[in-house]
Amino acid sequence: MVPAVTMVLKWSIPAVIVAACVGYLIYSASGGTTEYYLTVSELRANHESGDVRVAGVVQDDVQKTDGGLRVTFTEKDGTASMPVEYSGTLPDIFRPGITVVVEGTLGADGVFHARTLLAKCPSRFSTAPYTT
Amino acid sequence: MPLEVLDGSVHDVTGPLIGYLGAGALLAGLVMGGFSALLSFWAGGQENAVMVQVGRRAFYAAAAMAVVAGVLLETALLTHDFSLAYVTEHTDLSTPMALVAAGFYGGQEGSLLYWTIVLGILGSASLVASAGLGVRLAGYAAGLLAVILSFFLLVLALVASPFDLLSITPPDGLGLNPVLRDGGMLIHPPVVLAGFASFAIPFSFAAAALLAGRSDAAWIAHTRRFALLAWSLQTAGLLLGMWWAYHVLGWGGYWGWDPVENVALMPWLATTAYLHSSQVQERRGRLRTWNFTLVIVAFLLVVFGTFIVRSGIVPSVHTFAVSSIGPWFLVFLLLCIVFSVVLLTFRSGTLGAGRAQPTPVVSREGAFVVQNLLLIGAVAVVMWGTILPLVTGMLGGERVVDASYYERASGPIFVVILALMAAGPLLPWRRAGAASLRALRWPAATAALVLVALLAFGVTSIAALVALPLAAGAAATALTEFARAVARTRRDRARLLPLIVRKRRRYGAYLAHLGLVVVVVGVAASHFWQQEKDVTLTSGQSVTVGGYTLTYAGSQQRQAADHTEDVAMIRFGDQTLEPSRAVYAGLGGQALTHVAITTTPLADVYVVLASTGGDGSASFRVFVNPLVSWIWAGGAIIILGVVLGNAGERSPAAEPVRRRVPATMPA
Repeated sequence: MVPAVTMVLKWSIPAVIVAACVGYLIYSASGGTTEYYLTVSELRANHESGDVRVAGVVQDDVQKTDGGLRVTFTEKDGTASMPVEYSGTLPDIFRPGITVVVEGTLGADGVFHARTLLAKCPSRFSTAPYTT
Repeated sequence: MPLEVLDGSVHDVTGPLIGYLGAGALLAGLVMGGFSALLSFWAGGQENAVMVQVGRRAFYAAAAMAVVAGVLLETALLTHDFSLAYVTEHTDLSTPMALVAAGFYGGQEGSLLYWTIVLGILGSASLVASAGLGVRLAGYAAGLLAVILSFFLLVLALVASPFDLLSITPPDGLGLNPVLRDGGMLIHPPVVLAGFASFAIPFSFAAAALLAGRSDAAWIAHTRRFALLAWSLQTAGLLLGMWWAYHVLGWGGYWGWDPVENVALMPWLATTAYLHSSQVQERRGRLRTWNFTLVIVAFLLVVFGTFIVRSGIVPSVHTFAVSSIGPWFLVFLLLCIVFSVVLLTFRSGTLGAGRAQPTPVVSREGAFVVQNLLLIGAVAVVMWGTILPLVTGMLGGERVVDASYYERASGPIFVVILALMAAGPLLPWRRAGAASLRALRWPAATAALVLVALLAFGVTSIAALVALPLAAGAAATALTEFARAVARTRRDRARLLPLIVRKRRRYGAYLAHLGLVVVVVGVAASHFWQQEKDVTLTSGQSVTVGGYTLTYAGSQQRQAADHTEDVAMIRFGDQTLEPSRAVYAGLGGQALTHVAITTTPLADVYVVLASTGGDGSASFRVFVNPLVSWIWAGGAIIILGVVLGNAGERSPAAEPVRRRVPATMPA
């Protein structure tokens, strides 16, 4: 019979090693890739130089060029707005009035250069309540 | 409440009737559920077999009430009874009937009711099968299931009722978003919701065993069976979700590390760990507390996920209705956590410490332990990425991670798990000597061969050079087991099939391992070698992506009842692909892309129509996704392995108990 303490020690070693490795992986992976998630007004109030994600509502001035693969529009929240430029296929539900999340950088020219554009997906859990 | 005629028109009587009956069924179910919970706990504690039986029947009655409510809601949907707010908000007269029927689980309230029904039916089945477990354990399990069922019925009856009536019956409903008007809607949500609901059963039996202070072979077999069911449903649900996203959403991928996907993955990972570690308890009587913890954690992850998904507190591509059920699930989650922690802290001692035999780390049980730790590590990685916006939001600037975080943090963990899949099954229980290490030569040789082949083909991605050889090694290990079976039957002049059928659990598991390897190869190939090209073509022009040549042959416009569709025709070999883009006038001009996908042996060619120009040109985004079809095929093999491996498994009561662990009752 081996004392329980020895057993605990023996099995704690792999546990501690795995935990340390996982901790390191989380730390190192999140170090470079976390981004601020902001609204347009928050971005305006506090200019971030790096990559950020910004949520806001698409305004009516959507302009498509290059056969629909390049698009410019204004994104706005309650108080602030910013011009956005994006190249790529657009989500199906993209149109003025929907909420989008753009990921990219705010250029010195004040235009937000988006690398990705996500539309808030109409979830099966949400529809507008019926109003008469 | 009287049937008042609010707007002066004659009211359709069936509508309010279904509403009232449904609400009544939910309340009756809630009463029965509460009664079952109180009686079952009391009778279990008293070991009163008759009263435990009554408590169990009360649970069946509560489940039956949930089914009645479900039948009423489905009737209301199919008869277009727009007096119910739920029917109006999720369907309309133009929706095809199959999707009207699917509207049942298409919204918040209906999906909760669907969940409750699945919990009621599977819970009843688990209680019917619980007779061999003893009065005390069966009573406590029924009580816990009744508490969970009653919680859902309470939320349905009070906060999120699908039977709320509108004051005026509108002539037509609001309909379903076109993105959801797809065949995938018919299969993915019901499977994934059923998977979520079924985790409550292993949890209830684990917690009941802790309360009753026993964890013998019959308990393991019973809990394992329902954990396997939950795991299989969740596997199918995850794969169907990936399949649906891939075929419908048109971004060329199938997994986006969105919180909605993450919360479905985490209980799956924890249960995967349990299905492996429970074998250590079966074979060696060890890891009992750990197994309880895994089953309980899987359920807590389900409740956590439900809270996250339905409260909308983390940013997601999905928008969730800002609903009033969030706080209810938060309270339920906190109660479950407190209950579980208290239970594990104060009751796990009653299970008896495992016999302290020295167990070397290099052994089958050692491999299981490390694999378990890694799977829980993967849960931690996914959890951190999911809750980071919450944590950082409380501390100041809200931060999010993107897919690369998950890939970089969980990739190495999954790679080591693959290595364990290759080595673990060849290690013997207790101690691995030199002979058993020699058994590793086949997977090692296979991995080396694949590595050399990849290098010869000029592959430079380190991740691919590590993952694919290890996957090949894991496949070799599973195949070695089948080869051994063939060799043994040849030596003994026995027939192969009876051996495999007799040891089907073992061979089913290796088949599932092979399926997982096929999935891994598909994921790795499509991840490392996906090609993508944006292109604008005029009629007759061609484009070549990844060696596949596509020729644009013009486009046409088709008119349908509720939408206009631009269809592009693309010739690919002797096939014609028709990616299209529909615009629904009735929904504010919302567009809906139909992706054209063709599967060749090596890759999917995936064409998305971005737009058509006035001059006859059209813009496309073309993806070449290598081996994506392997993911679906591998998923099917996994499910097949699990089903074949466990079909007709004898009930634990009929099976002689191999090693009964004495139930130590607290003094």
